Order: sequence, then C-alpha cells, then structure tokens
Amino acid sequence: MTRSATRFAARSVTRFAARFANRLAATTFVIACLALLNTPPVHGQPSNAPAGNAPAGNASAGNHAQPLQGQALLERGRAIYADQCAGCHGAEGQGHAEHYPHGLVGDKSINELSKLIHDTMPKDAAELCVGEDARAAAAYIHESFYSPTAQARRKPPRVELSRLTVRQYQQALADLIGAFRPQAAWPTAAGLRAEYYKKRQTSRENRVLERVDPAVLFQFRDSSPDPTKIEPPEFAMRWNGSIVAPETGEYEFVLKTENGARLFVNHTQTALIDAWVRSGDGVEFRQSIKLLGGRAYPLRLDFFKFKEKTASIGLWWRKPRRTVDEPLTDRDLRTASVPETFVVTTAFPPDDRSIGYERGASVSKAWDQAATDAALETAAYVAARLPELANAKPDDLPQGERVERVKKFCRRFVELAFRRPLTDEQAATLIDQPFTAGPDIETAVKRVVLRTLKSPRFLLVEVPDGPPDAYDIAARLSWILWDSLPDPPLLAAASQGQLSDPAVVLRHAQRMASDPRAQAKLADFFRQWLRIDDAPDIAKDSALFPEFSPVLAADLRTSVELFVERIVGGEAADFRTLLTAESVPLTPRLAAFYQAGSNAPPAAESTSGDGLAEALAAATFRDVPLDPGQRAGLLTHPYLLSAFAYTATSSPIHRGVFLSRSLLGRSLKQPPEAVAPLSPDLHPQLTTRERVALQTGSESCRSCHNLINPLGFTLEAFDATGRLRREEKGRPIDDSGMYFSRDGEEIRFRGARELARFLTTTTETRDAFVEQLYHYWVKQPYRAAAEPEQRRLRERFAAENFSIRSLVATIAASYACASN
Amino acid sequence: MPRFASRREFLRSLGLSAAALPFLMNLPSLGFANQGQRKQRLIVMFSPNGVVPGNFWPDAEGPLAAFKPSLEPLEPFRDRVLTLHGVCDKVRGDGDNHMRGIGCLLTGIELFPGNIQGGSHTPAGWSSGISIDQELKNHLQSRPETRTRFGSLELGVLVPERADTWTRMSYSGPNQPLAPIDDPYRLLDKLYGRRKDRQALRSVLDAVSDDLRKIEAAVSGEDRQLLAQQAEFVREMERELTSPENAETANHAAPELEPGVKEDNDNMPRLSRMQIDLLVHSLAADFARVATFQFTNSVGQAKMRWLGIEEGHHELSHNPDNDEKSQDKLTRINRWYCEQLAYLTKRLAETPEPGGVGSLLDNTLIVWTNELGKGNSHTLDNIPFVLVGNGLDFKMGRSIRFPKLSHNRLLLSLAHGMGHHLPRFGNPDFCGDGPLTGLS
Repeated sequence: MTRSATRFAARSVTRFAARFANRLAATTFVIACLALLNTPPVHGQPSNAPAGNAPAGNASAGNHAQPLQGQALLERGRAIYADQCAGCHGAEGQGHAEHYPHGLVGDKSINELSKLIHDTMPKDAAELCVGEDARAAAAYIHESFYSPTAQARRKPPRVELSRLTVRQYQQALADLIGAFRPQAAWPTAAGLRAEYYKKRQTSRENRVLERVDPAVLFQFRDSSPDPTKIEPPEFAMRWNGSIVAPETGEYEFVLKTENGARLFVNHTQTALIDAWVRSGDGVEFRQSIKLLGGRAYPLRLDFFKFKEKTASIGLWWRKPRRTVDEPLTDRDLRTASVPETFVVTTAFPPDDRSIGYERGASVSKAWDQAATDAALETAAYVAARLPELANAKPDDLPQGERVERVKKFCRRFVELAFRRPLTDEQAATLIDQPFTAGPDIETAVKRVVLRTLKSPRFLLVEVPDGPPDAYDIAARLSWILWDSLPDPPLLAAASQGQLSDPAVVLRHAQRMASDPRAQAKLADFFRQWLRIDDAPDIAKDSALFPEFSPVLAADLRTSVELFVERIVGGEAADFRTLLTAESVPLTPRLAAFYQAGSNAPPAAESTSGDGLAEALAAATFRDVPLDPGQRAGLLTHPYLLSAFAYTATSSPIHRGVFLSRSLLGRSLKQPPEAVAPLSPDLHPQLTTRERVALQTGSESCRSCHNLINPLGFTLEAFDATGRLRREEKGRPIDDSGMYFSRDGEEIRFRGARELARFLTTTTETRDAFVEQLYHYWVKQPYRAAAEPEQRRLRERFAAENFSIRSLVATIAASYACASN
Repeated sequence: MPRFASRREFLRSLGLSAAALPFLMNLPSLGFANQGQRKQRLIVMFSPNGVVPGNFWPDAEGPLAAFKPSLEPLEPFRDRVLTLHGVCDKVRGDGDNHMRGIGCLLTGIELFPGNIQGGSHTPAGWSSGISIDQELKNHLQSRPETRTRFGSLELGVLVPERADTWTRMSYSGPNQPLAPIDDPYRLLDKLYGRRKDRQALRSVLDAVSDDLRKIEAAVSGEDRQLLAQQAEFVREMERELTSPENAETANHAAPELEPGVKEDNDNMPRLSRMQIDLLVHSLAADFARVATFQFTNSVGQAKMRWLGIEEGHHELSHNPDNDEKSQDKLTRINRWYCEQLAYLTKRLAETPEPGGVGSLLDNTLIVWTNELGKGNSHTLDNIPFVLVGNGLDFKMGRSIRFPKLSHNRLLLSLAHGMGHHLPRFGNPDFCGDGPLTGLS
C-alpha cells in the first residue's frame, strides 16, 4: 500500500470510528497504526514463546560496590547476553526466526537501552535482568552491533556505483538540449506583458493598450477592457511571458472563457489549449503538460471576442497531485520571454527510496526500457529541431556545410552528455561513423543521440575507470547541486585545471547553490523532509470544520511552501528561523479561518470593475503574525499540524513521529504488534493526550512511544486543523513534554515555543539535519565520508550561522574533492 | 453460397448453438457475409469550392457512356465508377455554406453556435456530431475480426495550419474535430516510426555493450553487479529486436519518401502523390480500413500554376457562369483533382489484395466529394458524389440522378454497405426512409 493510501486509510478510519466504532474491523486499525510509521505492515504477532530458553542463571548474583566500567562492563554484558538474550535475539543480535525475527539495530542511548532491559527484558521474566546487569547488557549490545557506529564498523558504508536517478535524467536532458538554445537570464519581473486590440485582428494599428497584467482573471461582462478605447462587441488581447513551475509533475492548465482563446505553454508553435473556435456552451478547457520544477517556460495566451454578448477570460492551473484549480497569479507568472525547455515525457519507474533518499544503486528491466524509450523520444525531438539546435537550415546552407554544422552539434552534444571532451578515437566512432553509414543526416543524428543516451558514460553518475579528474569533480558538483550536467563556467574551470584547488571548487559550489535549480532541489528536499511530498491536499471532518474547504486546504499547502521558500531563499537562509518564525503567509481566507484578527490582510479594493483586483486579492499571500507568542515556525505551521492529525482530532503520535524522525533524526521501528487506535467515542471522557497514553501504555509500545508521545504532546495546543485551542473537552490543555537525549539527559519542555528552543539549541537537530541533507543531495551514505569530514560539515553549519545554502555548497564541495 | 442475415442465423442453419461459437471462431475457413474474409475499405476524398456542373455531371442516367471534361481522367475505370447527382446537404443552422458544407458533409448534423464568422450567415463553431468515417471506424474497431492498428487515417494535402470550421471534416464526436496529417514525413513517421526506431536502436546496441564491458573491467567487486545486470538487459533488448514477433509490418518494405519536399503550394502535385502512395501502403499493410483524404480546405486557395492558373481556387470559384475563362480554369482544376483520384484508383487496382483475391480496388470504395455543389452560387444542392471501386457491393459503371434527396441517406448507405446497419445518422429529420435505394 502506498503511503498516501495508508494515510488516507488512517483518516477515513477515524471518521468511521466516530460513527461505527463497534463495527470496525481490527484489521483496518492495523493499517491505520502502521501508517503512522510509514512502514510495511507486519503480518502476525511476535512470538509468544517464553523469553530465553536457558534458565536465568546467576548472572545477577554478585553485588559490586563500584559500578563496572569499560572492558569489564562489556565482558559482563557479553556473558549476560549469551545467557539470557541470544536465545531469542541471535548470537550477534541478528534475530531468531522463531522468537524475534528482527535485528537489534537502533539509535537508543545506553541509558535508554538499560532502562528498557531493566523494565521489560527478558520477555515475561523482566525481573531476571535489572539494574547493573541491564546496564552491562545494554553497553555490550550497544557497542557490539546495536548502535549506528557499531553497524558502521561491521559493514563500513561505501560510495556505490550509481546510475542517474529519474530526477537527474530529466534535468540533464533539459539542460543538454537547452545548451543549444539562447541562454535567458532567470526571469524576475512578475506578471504577463499584455496587448489590447480594438478589433479581433491583432494588427499593429488595432493595438490600443499595452501594460503588464499580474494575472489573467477578467470578467468584462458586456463591457470592454477599456471602454474609452475599445468597443464592447469586438476586441482581442495577447499575453506574453513565462511561467515558473514550482515542482516537477503534470500541470493541468485551465482556460475559462465564453469567447475564443488559445494557450501556448512551452511550445511556441503548437497550442496546448486551442479554444479559438467557440462552439456550443463550453466555457472551461483543460489540458495537461509535464513540467520540471524550478524552471521557467514560455507562455502565450491569445484571446478574441466577436459579437458574443459577454466576455471573460480566466487562466488557472491545477498543480501536480492537487485536487483543486488555482488561479495563476504574479507568484507564478513572469514578463520575460524564455526559450522552450525539453521535458522528456517517458515515464520511468520510481527510484529506490528504501533507505530514506532517492538513489540509483540498482537497475531493472523496466528502468532500462524507460531509458531506451526516453532516448528514442529525445532522438526524435532533436531530429525534428535540427535546423534550430544545430543552426543548420536546409535551405540556407549547401549540403556539405550543413553536414559539418550538424556534426559539430553532435560532438558538443556527446561531450556535454559525457561531461568531458571526446578523444579522437571516440569522436571517430561516435560521430564520424554514423554519418558515413547514412542514409541521411536525420538518421545519423538519431543514431548519435541514441548511442549517447544509452551509453554508460551518460547513464552512470560517475564512470569509475580511473582516479577522479577535474571533469569528475565538475560533474560531482553539478549532480549534487542541480541533479544535472555541468554548465559552461564549470567545464571551463575543469579544462583549465582550476578544480584541483578546493577553494575554487567551493566558490563554484556557492555560485551554483544560488541558482534556481538548486533552490528547486531544496524545495523538493523540504517536501520529503517534512513528509508532505505526496497527497498534498488535506480534508477535514466537514461537520466539525465546515469552513475547512478544499480551496482553503490548497491555500494552506501553498502557505507552507511559501514559508519555506521565503526563509530558505532569503539572505540568511537560517535553519533555526524555520523553527522559530512567528509569521505565516496567509490568504484572506486563511487569515479568517485562523482568526489572525486585526493582522489579517485588508479586503481588496475594487477599482477597475473587471474583477481582477478581487480575484487577485483572494489569492495573494501576506506574512501575518499568528497567535502572538504561541507559534514556532514549521513546528506549528497549520498545514503540518493538519497533515499530522486525523480528520477530527489531533494526533500526537503523527506529530511525535515527525519530530523524532525529521527533526531529531531518530530511527523508529515498525510497531511490534498490530494495534488498533482507540476510538474517541469509546472514551468520551478522555482527552486526546490521555487516550494516546492509554493506547500506547503496554510494554511493547513503550520502547518507541516513550520517545514519540512526549514530543507530540507539546503540540496539543493545536487542534486537527492547527488552530490554537486552550482546552479540550472542557479541560485545559496539557502540552508538557520531554526528551531523552542520545547522551541520556532528560530534557523537559512545555508547548511549541519551548520545544523550538530546545530543537534549535541541541546538536542532535543540527547533526540530524546535516546527515539528512547530505543523503538527499549526494545520494550516497553520509557515513561513507571520512569521520573528520563529517565533523567538519557539522561544525561549518554552526559556524556559518546555520545557513542552509552554505551547508549545501559545503557538502557539495566536500564530496567533490574527496579522493575516491 | 447462401447468404444469411446474421451470424446467429448462419449458426442455426448449421445446427450449432452459441456454446460451439468459441470453436468456430478459430476456423478461418468459415466465412460470413460482410463480416468475414472480405476486407472492406472506405476512402473519402475531398476537394473544395464546388464544380462546374455542365463540365462535371454525365448528362443522362443509366450506364456511363462517356465522361465530361472534369471526370475524363476516370475513363480507364469507367465500369467501376458511380456518379450520384441530386444528393443535397440539407442541414441548415449556424455558419455560412462553406462552413456547413464541410462541417456537415460527413456528420449530417448542425454546427454548434460559435464565434467563427464566415462570409455570410451567423457565426458558428464545430459540428455537433460524429462523422461517418469515425462512426465506421468505431464500429470496425469494436470487433476483433475487423480491428486494425489505427482503425482510420486522416490524410490531407496542404491543409492550412489552423484549426477552424473550414479546415476540419472528420469529427470523433461533438466538438471533437480531427486534424488531418498533411505532411508526408509526419505520416511516414506515424506509420513506420517504430520500425525505424528499432533499426536505429539495433545499430547502436553493440557499441553500448562494448562500453559496458570496458567499464566493467575497471570496476571492483560489488559495483560490477550493476554493470553486469545492465549488460544483460542490453543483450535481452537485442534478442527482442531480432525476434520474429517484433518483425511486425515486416511483410512489406516501408515506403521510401523523396527527401526534403516542402509543404508549399507549388509542391502540391508531389505532395499529393506521396500521400496517395502512403495511403495505398497503409491499406495494403491493413493499418486501417477507413480513411479521409482532404485537399486543402473548404474555401481552399490552391494556385495551380502547374496548369497555368495563377489565381487562387476560391477566388476563381466566385466568378460568374458567363466568365468562360474562369469556368475553363475551374473545370481544369477539378480535372486535376480527378487525376489524383484516378492515380489513387490506379494504385489500388495495381495492388493485389494481401491474403485475398483480386486487387485492393475490388474491396475499396472511394467517395470523392466537395463542400458545395457549385462555387459561385454556394449551393449545398447536388453535392458532387463520385464513387469509385467495388468495396461496397454497389452496382458500378452507372450514373444515377436522385430527386434532391438528403445526403444523410447516402451516409447511411455507406454505413450499411460497410456492414454497420445504423437506423439513422446525424440529424434524424434528414434520414427519410433510410439508405438510398438503387445503389446495389
């Protein structure tokens, strides 16, 4: 079951539970509980066999005046483990098929482990191993195989040979083709350039008005765009500019008009939506196109009115995986023209994410087939646009000259794809041979493209046929920072031998970290770090929260993306601000729902009568301080609080899991047994906190929920929609919580602000963030880097005021300059 | 062989029940009337702006004795031609006659109101119904024994690069116009692109394998597995590309097109020939059983300089009857279109029916038609309908004159002739007593 489906199941279950609690099948609850941890369901219960085959023995017999230390402690632990534990857990913690099939692996501290053993182990005979014995067993387990460092010692992580991930493939092809097109600066001026005509023919003499429109959301009714210059019966408009796609996926564009209109997106010749001929009653036209995130695409919209009674035009879109249409506004639209981008449409199987980040460590038949189809698609695209890309129009050039230009194009194409210059021998087989084989230029080009894109020199992230050279360093930087190919300045630095200097490498990394492609990757990172990368739109119990509409939910999603973007894209890009900022970007709709009160944006002033100002105001986000003194950045962003909640009630477990995993980097195992969440209706007198405590009170739950619950409880002052609340069921909210640090220290806090203060000061959050960022960006194990290098990255992060942008550049430069 | 009205009746006569059907289905020697072995095909060819009636229509009803100048190119196939005078497009409503002429020609139903203003009348949009070619395509594609790779093909020659009521003849449904492919290279790509892809792919796989081997040699232990796997996939692909199942369409050679013929007015004769060759190829390969073939568009402005005619076709078509020069030119323009029809006919006649008897022409009906009866009056009466070939069991070699019957009835005749017994098509008010009588 996919993650979104399980989450959905979890929500529906709650809704059901409210009404049909007693009819609920326990199996459904299993899914619900497991969904919390986002892991595949376990079938069956753990073994009921008595813990330990061997008698308890006399290991705990001796009493020591001094606590054991060091090797002595470990030796004692080894004996106890062999005697009392190995029967079920295996000689080296690998597990036992019958008794306890899971490996003893985790990140609890020795103190946590000893408490756990003291309280619960051996199973059904916990009194046999307590106190000093428990501590010795914990120390031995921790040191020998349990802890991440023990695991690392047993199997040192290594940099694995990797193929391109789907993201890398798509981005690389876009940049590969883009290299042969005019290079446009990143468009910044918002809106679209608009031209208004007094007739339906868009000739110069009919043009009466030019301006920049922030959006195309007009209701002209029976009037005209400018009654002083344009008569209502007949007129035309044209909007030109570009559109920025915030993430990769299928975008559905929506034209709403009762007149004639044509929309061009990323293709300047073929309309995406051709609604030029109005026919019958159709007023809404939809068409999808795949776009890559963090890039700008050319957009043009033509409109005309002829004799119809009324006129209106609205340009909307539905972003990937969303459930509502949203108007396109100056957040997304730019006035500048940009060239077309090649977006490969072949669908690839998703990349392996089993260890928490996407990587290309394996190949499959389906992947190979997709890579072939994509190569064919690209070959056809290139062959059809050869005059443009190779600057070789058949009409303008004699055949010989045309062949030369096309061969030149091919050579550069291969060199860009392979990220290095070709040897003469390579050029002879890769370029010259297809051209002599005939029969025509287009066929030769197609063969070059196919050969290049099927070659391991393109498909492998790095070809390990020698020690890394300057071109490998350049490619490492661009893969890490952009998931794409090196750009011309980087290739120039490589060819001039500048990249042997780590300072130069770092400067390039810093330059590249500010590029929109890096910003887009950062946005993608945060989507998965926040665990909101699928099923973006949230639904709530409509009886309890009638105003929580799909449109409001869509705004909320955009709000969290804007929140991250504004901080991460800002000058400081300070990680801590993500957890402490008190303002939230809100639309008027959101402000009303979250009772931002006097801080709410003012109502729109209607001026023009064409409806634009009102439509735009409703869709415009402003930073609004919400609930002064109560909010703590992402921790209390209403989107996350709503996402980590049920449809009717909050979910301290969802919230606690997020805090444990993403913020503190703790690993959590799947629940040891199938557990049905308790229905609120069965315990109407209990608060959510009490119900969760009751639910997870058993021994087997406590090993994880002792960590999860006290973190999640600190956000109990926020309901299922993330609204602030003072009480639940007539009783004041208890939002006190605590955390056992990896050092064994017990830290107590109350509410979101105190939690944020802890998270922004502890090194655990910092270290976890560095590791997670490293994994997402490098796609190789963090622990494959030398230990001093890991330490340096952590220290640099702190020294550079927790600038996320700097950290990304530091990580990229560090990996690029590594010797392997 | 006795004829049976339905498969069920046939089975009954054999004393078989439906339970025996699965066994029978695998016996190709049992043919069914109009459902079995004979592959029936329909091609609708369109040219614009009406005709010069006096130089087009045979004078008398009955066996075709001689052709008027515009139809003379069909002389070699006289006994396989059927001309239908008196068939009228009676659909009215929004749009001028050029728009309704093409938009209702194959749909037999009104245009939606819209914003496209023609030379007269009210503005209009797209047709409000499916066209007969697409109706037949859906019918044939719904049954395994008549299903083909594409079902139908929509071809054109110099169709302008704009989608409006004047440029679209086929509709897959209300408000769903289909764009004809008028670029032979694009058409070839649609028909044979996959095969060319496979050839290109095969030509590079050896080199890819070499690359993988070289890199594998330089790589250590655990990483080698990924490369070995990848190499295995490449080998698998090579095997698949050479396997017999993948030799689809390999029973005939892909046509070769003369390279670099650009889509402009003066290349019209070459483009027409290329498209006809591809069309015949497609039928021989059984890619489709239904096709439309559209020269330019309603109001088309071809300038037939190769005939010494400098004016655009549409502007000439407005000139009065007593302008003899213009009438001569219009006659010759239609004669040129008829030459294209004759070339198509000849190619079909020369091509043996694959796996059957006779030629493609024996199993194909071509319907040559137009959006207007006559250019300068813009009449929708007496729409030119010239039928060629023996695909539909019509009795050929004749001229028929109908008393101004609605063209919906002819569309029904085409459907019935193809084995699709529709009770009505398009606007039911124009379907009268059903299919035209006297065709077969």
